[in-house]
Amino acid sequence: MTKSVLVVDDEPNIVLSLEFLMTQAGYEVRIARDGNEALEAVVEKTPDLILLDLMIPGRDGYDVCQTLRRSEEWASIPIIMLTAKGREVEKEKGLALGANDYVTKPFSTSELTARVKELLGDT
Amino acid sequence: MLKRISQMSLRLRTLLFFLLLSACIPLILGPALYFAYGHIQTHNDPADSLLLFGLAAGVGLLLCVVAIGALFDVNVASPIQGLIRDIQTILHSNRNHSVDVETGRYLDHLPETVRALARQYRIQRSAVDKTIANATQETAKQKNTLETILKDLYEGVIICNLNNQILLYNQKALSLLHVSGDIGLGRSLFSVIDQPPLLHSLRRLRNRLAEERHHNHPEGLGTSFVCATVDGRYTLEARMSLVLDLEENIPTSYILTFEDVTTELSALGKRDHLLREATEGLRQPIANLRAAAEMIANSSHMDDHMRKQFQAVMLTESLKLSEKINNLAEDYHGLATTHWPMADIYSANLLSLVSLRVADEKNIEAVMTGVPCWLRGDSHSLLLALDEILHRIHDVTHAPSFDLQTVNREGRVHIDIIWDGPPLSSSEVDSWQDVRLKESIGGMSLRDILEHHRCEMWSEEVDQKRSRLRLPMQPAHRPQADKTSETLPARPEFYDFSLLSQPNRIRPEIGDCPLSELTFVVFDTETTGLKPTHGDEIIAIAGVRIFNGRILTGESFARLVNPGRSIPKSSIRFHGITDDMVKDKPPAQIVLPQFDNFAKEAILVAHNAAFDMKFLKLKEEECGLKFDHPVLDTLLLSVFLHDHTNEHSLNDIAKRFGIEIEGRHTAIGDALVTAGIFKRMIPMLKARGIVTLNDAIQASHKIVEVRAQQADF
Repeated sequence: MTKSVLVVDDEPNIVLSLEFLMTQAGYEVRIARDGNEALEAVVEKTPDLILLDLMIPGRDGYDVCQTLRRSEEWASIPIIMLTAKGREVEKEKGLALGANDYVTKPFSTSELTARVKELLGDT
Repeated sequence: MLKRISQMSLRLRTLLFFLLLSACIPLILGPALYFAYGHIQTHNDPADSLLLFGLAAGVGLLLCVVAIGALFDVNVASPIQGLIRDIQTILHSNRNHSVDVETGRYLDHLPETVRALARQYRIQRSAVDKTIANATQETAKQKNTLETILKDLYEGVIICNLNNQILLYNQKALSLLHVSGDIGLGRSLFSVIDQPPLLHSLRRLRNRLAEERHHNHPEGLGTSFVCATVDGRYTLEARMSLVLDLEENIPTSYILTFEDVTTELSALGKRDHLLREATEGLRQPIANLRAAAEMIANSSHMDDHMRKQFQAVMLTESLKLSEKINNLAEDYHGLATTHWPMADIYSANLLSLVSLRVADEKNIEAVMTGVPCWLRGDSHSLLLALDEILHRIHDVTHAPSFDLQTVNREGRVHIDIIWDGPPLSSSEVDSWQDVRLKESIGGMSLRDILEHHRCEMWSEEVDQKRSRLRLPMQPAHRPQADKTSETLPARPEFYDFSLLSQPNRIRPEIGDCPLSELTFVVFDTETTGLKPTHGDEIIAIAGVRIFNGRILTGESFARLVNPGRSIPKSSIRFHGITDDMVKDKPPAQIVLPQFDNFAKEAILVAHNAAFDMKFLKLKEEECGLKFDHPVLDTLLLSVFLHDHTNEHSLNDIAKRFGIEIEGRHTAIGDALVTAGIFKRMIPMLKARGIVTLNDAIQASHKIVEVRAQQADF
């Protein structure tokens, strides 16, 4: 069965690339443009991995991540945080709130694919 | 007759001498002429007779004059000479010299008058001297005050005359400038500070004064400027003020105050550079990228070769841009200073203020726990922020009490607020950020304060029961560890193991309690030396309580003790306690019962506990106490836990556990470090099957036996 990746970002130009990138890597891709949409998408169908931008409208990425981690059903979905905030404290906060990985924008697309594959056990 | 003469006036007496002298002439000449006349009659040789009697009369007159002269000298000239000497002595060497009246008794009232004058002179001079002494003392006092102020002043201060020679400088000026050149009284200021900006400022001020513009000038006779040390090493922000004479119109000297702004300026410079890089530096790669992208987008006829070239441009330029932006971000985050003034803060001070404040306002109990550390921040705004956060958490969770602690980890100091219950949602925590804090400068919000400190906050679980709100702070600029700790050797291990074996005293129910649930008092003593049985005494004792696995920093005990003997110099470098510091302190008989009260019902823990226990035991009788608490020794427990190494000094273990050491070799500092170590050991012991107090005591005993055997060899 094809694994699915939920891309949560409100910047269409990066969504375009991420969608293309993940599809190329062989995953089914869904898109959410803010925090609430992201949670709805998860409820609708549990993804195998979430690419979660921090700076999204409504609930921010930290909030979405924490909400999922505190739920029973979705606590273990691998989450990679994508962010334009690059400070060490922010990374620490992201990991403390339950992210599996933390990638600072701009990033190398091939490296991102590698990390996704690693978390999904597809290497 | 003599008495009568001595009562005569000096003029009359002098006249008497001359009368006597005049009387001598007829009295001698008269008879001589009479006898000469008779002799001429009988001998008929007038020349011969006149010669004979003339000679006799001459000799008689001479004798008379000499006698009267001698009389004059003894009674008049010599006493006057004496008086002159007396006066000179009084004037020049001994003001209390007494004037001899007796030798000058024929000098009328002269001696008494001189004497009276001398007395008057003495009184006047004493009064003048006293005034001078008072004034000098007052000046000295003012000078001292001035020196103290100057010494404590954060700014460097130099006063120069108009030839730019240094008349005065303070400690700060010396410490700032001595590396750049010779600073000294009377030396030229230009041997340390670069000349042109200084002379320029001086000229401006003198012009302002000459043209009398200073009356209306906002800075008066002062001006600010930037200058540098002669070697260019330091940049100084300086202020010069002209000093006028008493009539307020001629300049006599100038005062220079200055601060070292080298680091601030260099940080500002870096910031400027970053800003320039972020604007101008990004133009070129973006231009390249945009041009290539537009070419691809807008050209309908483009051959494959061309398209590939443009694509290559876009790829390389975007890679370059990524790298550039990463470098910029790294440099930006690495900028040491923010524009907000920061200082090194000791967390115990900050957190105790927070805990007092919330207790006052809302009856929230905030307990300081853990080993305090140093962090960098603005104390007042942090206090406001933590106060606000505590209130917010309390409003949401209704938790009645909180633990406040700092943890030093991976180059950052975390301030943790811990409560019983689940963590807060990220959205909840975020919703506090933009409220303006009432007492803050300019109505700052929590976000502003956290941003100044480059801090983020979030809430997470500690364990199944408890949660925390965590604020990672920058560590202090000062080194976290005490400098002296590296050089001093540790106390030798103390081998009176019987002191630790008090199993009978343990109430059986305590022995079966898990370590994680017991109350401990971790303590340390400082002593005059290493030999308790040879007269060494306790000079400091401190302890901190561990309750429910938390180090209660707020509940600590720290006292100096008067040992009733002198403190050997050789021991002072270990503890820094001098005779002066303990002379007003109570003796062990007062302090140890207080400590006993503090440690009541608790299990005592110390590093190399036998050493401290020996000192306590020796005082039992004197103090009417019994230190029969169960005792655990972190040294023995360390040997049990880490049998692969021989490094079990407090420093070694602290290093192994990553515990930062503050105030090492003070009783409270060492007690806190030991407490930090012991707390970490409890879960490690549990993993090795040591759960209860009895388990820990038995394990310690085994180590004692092994060590005792080793000691026998």
